[in-house]
Formats: sequence, C-alpha cells, structure tokens
Amino acid sequence: MTQRIPVIEGLFAELPEGPRLLGSRCAHCATPYFPRSPVCHHPDCDAGRIENRMEDVAFGPSGVLYSHAVQNYPPPPPAKFDEPYQPYAVGMIDLAEGLRVLGRIATDDFSKLQGGMPVELIVDRLYRDGDGNDVVTWQFRPAEAAGHRNQGRRKP
Amino acid sequence: MTEVAVLGVGMHPFGKFADRSVTDLCRSAVLAALADAGISWREVEAVAAASSRFSGGKGWGLNGNDVVEDLGSTGVPVYNLSAGCAAGGNAFHIGYTLVASGMHDVVLVVGGEKMPKGFIQTSGVEEATDPEFLRQRCIGVSGPAFWGMLCRRRMEDYGTTEEHLAMIAVKAHANSVHNPNARFRKPFTLEEVLQSPMVCFPLRLFEICPVSDGAAAAVICSARFARRKTTKPVWVAGSAVATARFDDGMTRHLAAVSPPGKTMHSEAKLAVETAFERAGLGPRDLSLVELQDNTVYYELAFPEEWGLCAEGEAERLVEQGETGPTGRLPINPSGGFQSFGEATTAMGVFQVAELTWQLRGDAGARQVPNARVGLGQTIGLGGNATAVMLKT
Ligand SMILES: [Zn+2]
Repeated sequence: MTQRIPVIEGLFAELPEGPRLLGSRCAHCATPYFPRSPVCHHPDCDAGRIENRMEDVAFGPSGVLYSHAVQNYPPPPPAKFDEPYQPYAVGMIDLAEGLRVLGRIATDDFSKLQGGMPVELIVDRLYRDGDGNDVVTWQFRPAEAAGHRNQGRRKP
Repeated sequence: MTEVAVLGVGMHPFGKFADRSVTDLCRSAVLAALADAGISWREVEAVAAASSRFSGGKGWGLNGNDVVEDLGSTGVPVYNLSAGCAAGGNAFHIGYTLVASGMHDVVLVVGGEKMPKGFIQTSGVEEATDPEFLRQRCIGVSGPAFWGMLCRRRMEDYGTTEEHLAMIAVKAHANSVHNPNARFRKPFTLEEVLQSPMVCFPLRLFEICPVSDGAAAAVICSARFARRKTTKPVWVAGSAVATARFDDGMTRHLAAVSPPGKTMHSEAKLAVETAFERAGLGPRDLSLVELQDNTVYYELAFPEEWGLCAEGEAERLVEQGETGPTGRLPINPSGGFQSFGEATTAMGVFQVAELTWQLRGDAGARQVPNARVGLGQTIGLGGNATAVMLKT
C-alpha cells in the first residue's frame, strides 16, 4: 500500500484542521520562525537571547503569493523529482502570520500566477520513492483553484 | 588611516582551462600585477587571498598559502578570506585595511578559481539543519529560480519586459567584444538572447552568467610607496564589508520575517552606502560601476537599491543606452559576469583590475570617457557583501 512519507520530519503536519507548517514564535518579541528555532535571532530582542522562551506555532494555511519562478530545468541533487521531469513553479509566499515562506506552487498553469494572489497551504507528493511510497512536502496552490467557495475569494 | 593606492593589477583571461591549475592561473595574474606595479615579489609584505570552495587551498581554503609557496616562501603573513562569492572583495578590503592602518606598505590581493561544470552546486551537506539542503530536497529551488522570483516581481511592479532583460545581455556582450580577458567575446542580437532556452522563467540562458576559471590580482600600497613608483596612482576612495540585516526580505532559509517594502539585498546596500560614506562621495560622483551581474536582473535592481537612479527608472536607462560605456551611468563596461562567467572568489579582485584600467584610461574601446570614480561590488553566500570605490 502506498504510504505518505514526509520528505523531512518536523517541518509540517497534516492536522485535523488541515495542513500546517511547524514553526516557533518568540515569547518576548513575537518574531515568527520557520522551521522551528530554539532561539530568537532578532538583534533587538535582548530578553529573547537570554531566556530563549520560544513557543511552538503551527502556521498557515492562508497566504499571498509574493512572486514566483518556474524551475524549467531539472535541479541538481539533492533535489528529487518524478521522471520524466516536469517543470514546476516555486514561489515566495507571505503568510498571514508575517513570514515569507518558500514553497512549490501546485499548478500546471503558470500563466495564471500573479503576485498578490491568495494561495493556501497543502501537503502533496514531491516524488514517489523506490518502494512505491509518496514522499510528500508542503506546497501552495492558488486559493481559487482550491474551490474555497466559503472564503469569498472566487471570482464571479 | 593612511591613503592607499592601487599600484598594479593583473588578470588571467577567463575561460575553461582543463590543462591549467588554479595555482597556474593565480601565478599569471600575480606576475602581471607585480610587473604592472613595477615591484618584485620580495617587496610584497603581506598577502590577502580569497578562499575557494572549489579549487586549491589544500581543502581548507588556504589559497593564499598556495600562492606564496608557488612564488617563493618569504615568510610573509597570509590572510585567507572566505565569504562565498564575496571572498575576492573581502580579501581586497582586508588588504586595504592592512595598508590603511600603517601595518604594511605593500600588500598583494589575489583571487583565483577553477569552477566545476554547470550552475553552482550545493555544498553536498545532507543534514536537516542545513538550509541549502532543505531548500533543494523539500522544494527544489535552484539559484537561478531565486533570481527568477526576484525578476518576476520586478516585472509586475515596474512593467519590466523580456526585451528589457535581453537588452542588458546584448549590452554586456557588446562591451565584451572589446575586452581581451573576457571568455565570451561574441556580440549577441536581441533575438538571439530572446530565443535562448528558458532556464527559470522569466530568465533565459543568455541572461544568467555561467561559471568560469579565472584569476585576478592587485598590488596595493601606501601613498608614500606609491609616489616613489608612479606619478598617476589610482586611489582607494572607500572600502566596506557588510552582512545581511535581520529585516531583509529575502528568504535566506526556508523563510524570512517579512514586513513589506524592505530591501532583498541589505548586505549589498549597506556595503555600498558605507563605501560612499567613507569616500565622502555619492552616486552623482560615479563615472562607472562594476557590479555583480549573476543575472541581468541585478543591473536593474542594484542601481535603484543603492540610490544611483530613481525607483523604477532603471528600465528607462537601459532603453536609452545610459548604462553603456558612454552613457550617464555606465554599468559593467568590462562585459561583466555575463561575458566573463563567474570565477566566484576571483570576482572582487577582477572588478578592482577593471576599475583601475578604466581610471587610468587604459580600457581601449570599452573606455568610459573621462573616468574619475568607479564602484565595485560583490555579494555572496552567508549574507556577505563588499563595496570598493576607486578614484584618480
Ligand atoms: Zn525575540
């Protein structure tokens, strides 16, 4: 049976409420971090440096695309992908929590991608491994294509 | 602080040299710089060298020690500087401070590189604590894809077209025709650039610099020493090193903390602004700029981020030819990284050599008329950047 295996443990989770990125927030200055950080790196956060009170936070699922590019050629190792290679989009996504996150954009229609468009976090296949398991990673998809009729973002 | 002069520069032409070692390339560049300065190897009091990740250096980035052993072990102090692609600029800055402080009269700065094939590869570290590994394994976002994302955003914000990007590549190669040290010296038409394969939309193959082998060297010295050797020295007006700021907008790990509207290259902006301040000069004083054009995008972004032109003005300058050698803001009259290919750690010293030739009026058909003040800039992994200003 095909299993879903996270590409790296501890970066994201599929929670009952949906997919989330696993990060931290400084209890002193509220700076968010992804991936999790054991310490606060804000240069003005003296209390954070001394006490390091970091809280675990689950970020997502809503964000806005800052920009994107298309990985037209197969990237070198340690990147992994299904054969034959299919170009994919990557982007910087500004999450509502104040983080700008990198991720793949799950779409085949690159021409629709535009800065400022709403996107949402998903967990989807990165590649299928030699044992037939789906190795999954965090990705983003255009919120309209996701069919979120309840969020009022669909174009009329 | 004593005044510091660039007394001599040298370069090994850039290209792919299967039968020459990085030590061979560095020796060529250093001997040319010593001859240009009119001094012997024995007169060099210290060496500041760029540390390479790819070649020589005994696997520890000890590239300066390789150079000293090769030219003759005189017992001089050697400083090996590691700063990713900013290492050459970093080595120049440290060499500069050694002279400016009065510690030494004559210092050799050198950077040389033999690059592996293809775009620059990741470090090979496969650990979940290594950001580069995580970016590649979890997402698969190459260096050119980062440049593509930055460029795409600019296209949306300022209406930059594919033609604008191609015009910059055409300008770079038009300059390189006149530079005997450049690797690619063939002119390109707009159509040729626009028909080159898409590497990472929106950037095409001829809009991204390849990697090359190459080396460059500079002999720098105190004003007292310079006046004994030449009547027309080129002076270091200002030199600076900076690192990225916490509030930078670029996703340098898997994420960046992101209030909107901040610079994406805070290290380069800080280095350039600090160099301006130390030189007591400003954007209006510049005769030319040699900036790190890993991709044509940077010829649009950097001039604006550093205040050399207004926001959104860069495309107009390109359209009007103002960034050509005879324009209002000449950028990379050498042909730049586009035409040389990036021999990563050599590039900061390469820029110093090019600026020196321009300021002496020795740049031949790529000469910027009446060049008086030049700016060089590098940026590298780890959030490192350097800026140097030379003047007549
Ligand atoms: Zn904090």
